[in-house]
Amino acid sequence: MSKIIRTWTVNGESRTAEFPPMRRLLDVLRENLGLKGTKEGCGEGECGACSVLLNGEPVTSCLIAAGQVPDGAELLTVEGLEQTEGGRLLQKLYVEKGAAQCGFCIPGMLIASYAYLRNGARDPAETALRDAHAGNICRCTGYAKIVEAVQAAAEQWPAKEVNRNQ
Amino acid sequence: MKNLEESIFLEPATLAEALRFQADEATRGLPLAGGTDLMVQWEAGVRMAPSRVLNLKGLAELHGLSVAGGSLVIGAGVTHAMLRRSPLVRQHAPSLAEAAATVGGAQIQALGTIGGSIGNASPAGDLAPSLLVAHADVEVASVRGARRLALSKFLVGYRKLDLAPDELILRFHVPVLPAGASETWRKLGPRAAQAISKVMGSYRGRVENGHIADFAVALGSVAPTAIRLPQTEAWLRGRALNADTLDGAEQRASAEVTPIADIRSTAEYRRWVSGRLVRGFLEHLASL
Repeated sequence: MSKIIRTWTVNGESRTAEFPPMRRLLDVLRENLGLKGTKEGCGEGECGACSVLLNGEPVTSCLIAAGQVPDGAELLTVEGLEQTEGGRLLQKLYVEKGAAQCGFCIPGMLIASYAYLRNGARDPAETALRDAHAGNICRCTGYAKIVEAVQAAAEQWPAKEVNRNQ
Repeated sequence: MKNLEESIFLEPATLAEALRFQADEATRGLPLAGGTDLMVQWEAGVRMAPSRVLNLKGLAELHGLSVAGGSLVIGAGVTHAMLRRSPLVRQHAPSLAEAAATVGGAQIQALGTIGGSIGNASPAGDLAPSLLVAHADVEVASVRGARRLALSKFLVGYRKLDLAPDELILRFHVPVLPAGASETWRKLGPRAAQAISKVMGSYRGRVENGHIADFAVALGSVAPTAIRLPQTEAWLRGRALNADTLDGAEQRASAEVTPIADIRSTAEYRRWVSGRLVRGFLEHLASL
């Protein structure tokens, strides 16, 4: 199949890529756009390591044909998180709380945390917090440290980075 | 296996254009919406890459969610995330919202659609039972016209639908939960998220003066399609909601299902769980 050209806003910048439309979004991000922070874990939507935000919602980029992402779509990868105040806060607290061990799941886990906190969620009971991370599998931490980091981030979350899209 | 990157990608701008592609075998594509099942099967090589893919994402005609004529009208392109968040769905078909919230995780829910879940025609599709207990209809269309039929008739068999090759699923019509009735959803799987169900199901029912006035129950992963349990339902109708009724319903439900053993569970266990789920539904009904 001949290639198609798409222009998206990726991490706040306009980026254009040319690719076969059925190529996975994960591969377009990593290979065409050089954003290798997004990881492939299972390749079948089970582990969440490849999570990115597509128009504000976390999605598994291994399950999306990149041609299905229309011109003008907004994508946020782990590289883009560092440009946000909330993303830097999460980075700091994940480190402080020991939430990252081998680190392979962390790009996707951070995306899930960011999406959850950006919706203004506060959850002392942890139910919604854990539900928001249920699509991300970590084989190192047992999740307790991750939950601690996200709870700590919730307390300090910058008000201007709340964007209820639900 | 043919390389997926060689597949021709059809991008209809309107439903009418999509139906024209599908009308002719020479231009027809495999419909692709959320991709949460198809992309996995293609990548794993368990399904051949198609010659042509019909991209349904972005077709505005498939995205409505409203109440009309006593029914929720849900476009085929509505995602699980929209179903679980929608105040309309939570009010008028709460078990459907509950079911949508148990599928995969947030990432899968944001992609997978109700049309894909039903169109995939898997007995393990988590949304079918809630639609069946509500007596939902499905509306499909081709260039030959649209037609509407009961979902119970649409689900013909294992991986089989009453859907012609040129037809697309447009929307679902889900009668709203009647006043005084209740419903809920239960799923049994190895873990709460990211797990395909061993057995799951929904009920919709109503009690009058301690007796069962209406009771519909549907289970998935216990037969070639998600099924209602008409014999158990008929036995329950009009009965007092007491311990004997719960025992009898559990036995009858276990006997009525026809599960198989597969990688996720055994036939015997599924049969037992089916009875327990129906008992649980009656307990839920009794607790209200």
